[in-house]
Amino acid sequence: MMSTTLSVLADSTLITFVFALAAIGLAVVFGLVGVINMGHGAMLTLGAYFTWYATTSGVPFVPAVLASATSVAVVGLVLEHFLIRHFYDRPFETLLLTWGFFLITTELIKIVFGTDLRTVTNPLPGAFDLSVVTLPAYETIVAAISLGILLVLALVLFKTSTGIKIRALVQNPEVASLLGLNVGLAYKNVFVLGSFLAGLAGALISPMLSVDPYIGNIYLVRSFFVVIVGGIGQVLGGTLVGSFIIGGSETFFALFAGQVLAQTIVFVLAIVVLRFRPSGVLRPR
Amino acid sequence: MTRKASSVSAETVRGQILLRTETGLAVLVFIALAVLPLLISGYTIYIVPQYLLYGVLAMSLSLLWGFAGILSFGQAAFFALGAYVIGLAEQADPGLVNPTYVALLASLLLGASVAAFTGYFLFSAGVRDVYFVLVTLALSIIVEQVTISQSQITGGYNGMFVPRISLSFGTETAVVLSSDTAIYYFVLPVVIGVYALLSWLIRRPFGKVLVGIRENEDRVLSLGFNTSFYKTAAFSLSGAVACLAGALYGTHAGFVSPSLAGVSFSTQVVVWVAIGGRESLLGSLLGAVVVSALSTYLSAIIPDYWQLALGVVFVAVLIAFKGGAASAFDYAFGRRFRRD
Amino acid sequence: MNNVKMSYHQHSMNRRSALRTMAIGAGVAGASLSMPGVLRFAGAEAPIKVGLISPLTGAWTVYGKAHSAGFELAVDEINAAGGVLGRKIEIIVGDSKTEPRIVVEQANRLIRQEGVDFLAGTFSSAERNAAGPVVASANKVLLYPTFYEGQEQKYYPGVCNKNIFMFGPEPTQQVWPHMEYMTKQFGKKFFMIGSDYVWPRVTNEFTKEKLKELGGEVVGEVYIPFNTPQYESALRQIRDAKPNIIFHTLTGSDTVNFRKQFVAAGMNKEFALWTVDDEEVVTTGLGPDVSAGAFVSFDYFMSIKNPNNEAFLNRFRAKFGKNALMNTVGVAMYNAAHMAALAITKTGKVTTEGLRDGLKDLEYDKAPQGEVKMRGLDNQMVLPSYLMKVRQGWTGVGDMFEEVRHLDSVTPADARCKSLPL
Repeated sequence: MMSTTLSVLADSTLITFVFALAAIGLAVVFGLVGVINMGHGAMLTLGAYFTWYATTSGVPFVPAVLASATSVAVVGLVLEHFLIRHFYDRPFETLLLTWGFFLITTELIKIVFGTDLRTVTNPLPGAFDLSVVTLPAYETIVAAISLGILLVLALVLFKTSTGIKIRALVQNPEVASLLGLNVGLAYKNVFVLGSFLAGLAGALISPMLSVDPYIGNIYLVRSFFVVIVGGIGQVLGGTLVGSFIIGGSETFFALFAGQVLAQTIVFVLAIVVLRFRPSGVLRPR
Repeated sequence: MTRKASSVSAETVRGQILLRTETGLAVLVFIALAVLPLLISGYTIYIVPQYLLYGVLAMSLSLLWGFAGILSFGQAAFFALGAYVIGLAEQADPGLVNPTYVALLASLLLGASVAAFTGYFLFSAGVRDVYFVLVTLALSIIVEQVTISQSQITGGYNGMFVPRISLSFGTETAVVLSSDTAIYYFVLPVVIGVYALLSWLIRRPFGKVLVGIRENEDRVLSLGFNTSFYKTAAFSLSGAVACLAGALYGTHAGFVSPSLAGVSFSTQVVVWVAIGGRESLLGSLLGAVVVSALSTYLSAIIPDYWQLALGVVFVAVLIAFKGGAASAFDYAFGRRFRRD
Repeated sequence: MNNVKMSYHQHSMNRRSALRTMAIGAGVAGASLSMPGVLRFAGAEAPIKVGLISPLTGAWTVYGKAHSAGFELAVDEINAAGGVLGRKIEIIVGDSKTEPRIVVEQANRLIRQEGVDFLAGTFSSAERNAAGPVVASANKVLLYPTFYEGQEQKYYPGVCNKNIFMFGPEPTQQVWPHMEYMTKQFGKKFFMIGSDYVWPRVTNEFTKEKLKELGGEVVGEVYIPFNTPQYESALRQIRDAKPNIIFHTLTGSDTVNFRKQFVAAGMNKEFALWTVDDEEVVTTGLGPDVSAGAFVSFDYFMSIKNPNNEAFLNRFRAKFGKNALMNTVGVAMYNAAHMAALAITKTGKVTTEGLRDGLKDLEYDKAPQGEVKMRGLDNQMVLPSYLMKVRQGWTGVGDMFEEVRHLDSVTPADARCKSLPL
C-alpha cells in the first residue's frame, strides 16, 4: 500500500512537471503579453521534429535540443515580427492567426519531413529503481529540468531588472512606456522566449512520445487549461498548480475511474474552476 | 433603442443597405438551388444537401461569431449530437408518433438546452472571449471521447447507422425520403427557413443588441441590457440550429461517428466561416459549400498542398480581409462593407 | 497598437485577387460537381474503373502509403498482363482524410459521379461502416483490407453485407492460434491494454474467451482514450498486477507513446509484450531499442520467407523504392485487386453480381503470404497466421522480425451475422 501511494505520488509529480514544461511557453506568452498562441502545440511539434532531424543527422542529443529550441525561437521571431506584432490588442485576431499558423506549420511539417512515423531515441534509457518506487531515468531528468527552468524564470522575472521591467509592462503598458521601456521590444522578447520554451519542451519530450505532425496538439488544450486554471500571469506558481490539477490529478482519478472518465473529469473540473475562479486558482498579486 | 451613439447607427444604416443586397443575392441562390434538380441529376443532387447542411452549421457559427462576437470551436459537437439524436430516435421508434418528428424536435431542444445550460453557466460568470473559445474546444474533445466510449448507446468508434427519415401526413401516408430528390426538397426549405429566420432576427432589436455586444459589451451592459442573457440566447439558438443541421445530415449520410464531434471538424467550420465571411449569413453558407466541394475535389489531386493552401487563405483572410469572401464580393460592387 | 494599414493599391490588389480566387474556386466547384468525370481515352475498350478510398491525409496518413501502394502495384501487374477480359483497370483515388464523413462523400462521388465498377479500401472500421450504406444501396462491392474485430450483425451494413469482402484477419485468426504457445512460454496471466474503442474491446473479448479455455486469467484490463501522452498510471497498474504477458491493442500515436515509456521504465525486461497492432510502419517508427523483443502476430510480414513474398517484394521495391514499407494492410489490398481480377475473369461479368459470385470461395495462390481463400460463407478471407518477434538491434525491414511460429492457414470463426451464407 505504501509503495502504491509513493508510486502514485511519484507519477503525479513526474506528470505535473512534464505538463509544466509543456505549458511554460504558453504561460509566458499568454500570461505576460496576452497572446493566445494557438500555435503553441505546433511549436512543440516543431521542436520535436527539429530534434529528430538533428539527432538522425548525427548531432548529439543536448546540442540537438538546444539547436531545435533556438530554431523554434527563430520561427517565433519571424511570426511575431510579421504578424503578431500588429495584433497585440486584439486577442481574437491573435487566436485565429496563431491557429492559422498551426494549420500551415502542420502541413509544412508533413511536406518537409514526410508523414512516416519518426522517433527520437531515448538518450537515457533505464530507470532508477528505488525499491519502493521506480522512476524512469529520462523522464525524471526532464522533470528536474522543468523545475530548473521554472526556478530560473522566477529568478529572472523577480530579481533581474529585465524581469522587473517586463512585469511592469504587464501591469501597465502605458506607464511602462512612459518610463522609457521599449514596449515593442519587450513584447517581442517575451514572445520569442515563449517560443523557445515551447520548442525546448517539444525537443525534451520527443524521446517519450511518437513524433508525428500532431503530437504538440495533445498538449495544446491541456496547456491552456494549465495556464488559465493556474492563473494568467502567475507564471510560476500558477503553472505548477495548474499542471498539477490538469496533469497530476488525472493520475488520481484514473485510480477509481477509467482513463476516459478521468480525462473527462479533469476537463470538466477545469471548466468549472474557470467559471468560478476566472483569474485562476492562485490569487493575483 | 434610442440612445445609440451616432457611429453605431451609421453602421446600422450601412448594414441595412448591405443586408438588402445580400437578401437579393440569397433569393437568387435559393431559386437556383430549387431549380437545380430539374436540370441535372445524379451525384450533384445527392451531395448538395450535405454541403447545404454544412452551410447551416456555418450559419449557426456566423450568428454566434459574426454577429454576437462569440467565437466557438465547438459547433461540431452540436452537429454530432443532432446526428446521434436522429439515429437513436429512429432506432427507438416510439410507435404512435413518427419518430422523425420526435427526432427533429428533440434535436432542436437538445441543442438549445445544452447550449443554454453551458452558456448560462459560463456567461453568467462573465466568462468570455478567449476563455469561452477554449471551453468550446474542450467540449468538442469531451463529446468526442464520450461518444467513443459509450459504445452501447452510440455504437462507439464504429459509429451508428441512420436510416432515411420518413414524413407522415396523417395516419396513413408516410413518405420515406430515400431518393435524392425527395430529401433534397426536404432539406432545401429547411435551409431557406433557417436563413430567413436568422436574417430576420439579425434585423430585429435582438440582432442589434448582439452586434452591440460584439462591438463593445461593456457599453451595452452600461445601457442596461442583460448581456449574459443575450449571449446565452444567441448560443442556444446557434446550438439548436447546429443540432438540427446535424440531425438532417445524419439521416442524409446514413451514418454518424464520433469524429463528427471532434476538434478537426469544429475548427473546419471556423475556417469556412472566416473565408466565407463571418458577418454574412449567405457568405458563411456559401463558404462552407464551396470549401467543402473544393476539398473533396482537390484533395484527390493535391492532398497536402490543398490543406496548406487552405491554411494560407485562412491567414490571408484574417489579415487582409476580415469580412472574408463576402466583403470581397461587396467591394466588387462598390459598396463599403462594415468596418470591423 | 496600430492596425495593419495597407495602401489603397495593395487593398485593391487583394480585392481583385480575392475575387479571382473566388471565381476560380466557384468555377472549379461548379465544374467538379456537374461534370461526370473527364472524358477518357477509349483504347481497345473502356477500362474497368475502381474507386480507391485511402487515408492520404489526416490522422492515419502513415498507413495511407502502404494501403494504396499495394493496390496500385497489383493493378500495374494486372494491366501489364493484359488487363481483365481485355480491359485495363483504372484507379480513381479518393482521399478519406481518415474521416468517416468524408468517406461517405467519396464513396458516393466515386460510384455516382465517376461511375466506378467497384470500390476498394477505407482503412478503419468506422470508415468502412460509413461506406456500408452507400455500397448497399448502390449495390457495389467494397474490398476491405484492414485487420479488424470481426463481423457482428449490430454493425450492418458495414459488416454482414454481401457486397463487402474482408481481406484482413480478425481476432480468431490473429490471436487464437498463438495463445497456447504464448501461455506455455510465458505464463497465463494477461494484462490487457488497448485504445478505448471497438476493435481493442472485441479483440480482448475473443482473447479472454480463449484464455479461459486455457485456464488463464486476466489480471488487468485498461482502455486508454486517444491521444494520451503520459502512461504513468497504466505502467503502475501493470507493475502492481504482475502479469506474465502484456496484450497490447493500442493504436495510432498512443501505441508509440506507451511503448516508449514502457521501455523507458525498463519494463520490457520484466514482461513479455504481445501486440496485434504494431506492424512494419509502427515498428519502424519505434526504432530498434524500443521495439526489440516484442511479439507481433499478423497474417503477413515483410520478413516472411517464401517464394511468393520474395518475388512480390522485388516488384514492390522496384516500383516504390528499396526503403518502402509494406504491411498486412497493403498486402490485403494487393490480394484484393488480384482476386477481384480473377473473380471477374472467372464469371466473365464486370458487374457487382459477377464480382461477388466470382469471389465466393475463390482461392489465390500467388498471395505474398502464401495460399489464401475468400470464404463464401461470410466474405472473410482464410489466411495464414504468423507470430513474429522483433529482433534485437534490427537495421531495417529486412531483419526486423524473426519468425517464432506460423500456421499456413487459419480458418476463422463464423461471422456473427443474422443469416449466413451472406
